[in-house]
Amino acid sequence: MTWSAAIGRRVAPLLACVGLLAAWQVAALALKNDGFPTAFEAMRAVPAILGDKEALINILASLRRMTIGFAAAVAVSIPLGLLMGRSRAVAAFFNPLLMVIYPVPKAALMPIIMLWLGVGDIAKTLVIFLGVSLPVIYHSFEGAKAVEEKMLWSGAAMGLSSVQRLVRIVLPAAMPEILTGCRTGLVLALITMITSEMIARQSGAGNILFNALDMGQYDTVFAMIIIVGAMGIGLDAAFEKVRARLVRWSEPQFDIPLSFS
Amino acid sequence: MMRTVSKWILAFGAAAAIAASTGSSQAQQTIRVGWTIPAEESKYWMMRRPAEFPDLGKTYNIEWTQFQGTAPMTQALAAGALDCATQAPLSLSNGVVGGNLKAYIVAQHVFEKPGGFSVYWAVMDDSPIKTIADLKGKTVGISVIGGGTQGPFNMLLKQNGVDPAKDIKLVEVGFAVSEDALRQGRVDAVNMNQPFAARAEAKGGTRKLFSLSQAMPNIVHILEACRADFVDKNPELVKAYVRDITSGMKKALANREETLKVVSEVLKAPIPVLDTYLLKDNDFGRDPGAAPNFPAIQKMLDIYAETGMLPKLDVAQFKHPTIVAPLQ
Repeated sequence: MTWSAAIGRRVAPLLACVGLLAAWQVAALALKNDGFPTAFEAMRAVPAILGDKEALINILASLRRMTIGFAAAVAVSIPLGLLMGRSRAVAAFFNPLLMVIYPVPKAALMPIIMLWLGVGDIAKTLVIFLGVSLPVIYHSFEGAKAVEEKMLWSGAAMGLSSVQRLVRIVLPAAMPEILTGCRTGLVLALITMITSEMIARQSGAGNILFNALDMGQYDTVFAMIIIVGAMGIGLDAAFEKVRARLVRWSEPQFDIPLSFS
Repeated sequence: MMRTVSKWILAFGAAAAIAASTGSSQAQQTIRVGWTIPAEESKYWMMRRPAEFPDLGKTYNIEWTQFQGTAPMTQALAAGALDCATQAPLSLSNGVVGGNLKAYIVAQHVFEKPGGFSVYWAVMDDSPIKTIADLKGKTVGISVIGGGTQGPFNMLLKQNGVDPAKDIKLVEVGFAVSEDALRQGRVDAVNMNQPFAARAEAKGGTRKLFSLSQAMPNIVHILEACRADFVDKNPELVKAYVRDITSGMKKALANREETLKVVSEVLKAPIPVLDTYLLKDNDFGRDPGAAPNFPAIQKMLDIYAETGMLPKLDVAQFKHPTIVAPLQ
């Protein structure tokens, strides 16, 4: 990769962010709407939120629920997806269930889940779990389905049991697809983390966001959107680094020039 | 001799264990309470200044959960996920009619006192709409379609020859965005509540068309309700809670400066914004003892029945013989 291409790759995301903020600033100034503050006003409210101990405790409470929900979903969904990918019976049983649950907005389930599990952390964590698990199951399923049969035959010929074949052949081979599902799941975890706090909450980022919305403090509302967005970028970047390390072998090489002329 | 001493040690140990377990079970008694914003100053005091309430945290605890409006709290009460919660007369009644909820009204938060703030519908200064009758064919905003304000609103429209179902286009506009919606012409009239009404009035260019107080005085906006089975099972616990609500209301009214700080901490709204209306003449009324106004609630239930929003209900079913604010 040339020096200028490397610089361009690093600067491009920054330029995209600056462009978005500039478009937001111009649109807000043009619309002159109290409910749509300028990017500058929203950015100005960010340090006030991040400097407030109580706000940080709230954000950390949300992140704790998100981490638990995400980890539980990954722990359940990867084995289930792999099994679905390698067993027609398991796939036939779970596919219709997933097709029913997949399109339902997870936040819409919150009132029902609240009736079963109360208004505490468990209900919110379950919503996050549901939001994350479906893409992870789907990608694990597709990844496992795509594993070449001859690799499994070789494993069987070498005396591997079915569980060993699943762990030592199917799991590594499906890993790029699984991690793509996890990446989608991570973003969905962040979304459901906020939406799960929309109806009832004891602590969380929703406290700041929805209270500000109720009180018409739109600079704080948009500042929280910026903070959640930044959290999303940070988490995605961190996950991408981990993913790149784990599945470097499967990455396409973008730096090969198209032409040798 | 040794045996006698051992017996006494055992007896003392057992007594101490019983005393300790009794003490801890009292301290562990917890009420799960739902709350929302704004206008629950007594509860905000309990949340933010618990040291001011001798029983709170010692003889009983509160597990606070914030909700977005009163309707989800009605569902949570009906499901047994909450013991007590803020309610509006309509949401509570809907829970009774549709959700088999049995509850007692134990205190009241805010109402429309004569001469004080009343939720009103505003139009632009230069609007051709001069009377309620002029709303025919117009787009009118309301905070929640089917919410507590719609009963008196429907009644006022009917009294002025406007059919709320056919003659207007009713759209849902939250209080926080009502001023914007009106100024941008997205609605021809919209309902206003504090603190947004104070902000719009300060900016100018809008005028009041009519207010809910024209339908009836003393409208009760929010009250405190507890599940009947919980109250019947834990009367002393609920009494302690209602005593603290009574005391919280007194503290809120007695010390406005501190109340502004407390409310600002809860709402995360700057004190100068709250200072424009909170506990002033342009705010809702608060009973000094947080006493529910049962006759006014009955009148509201009658209006809801008259406008077809509820079947006929008797407020007596919400009244506990002894556990109701003010409790000292």
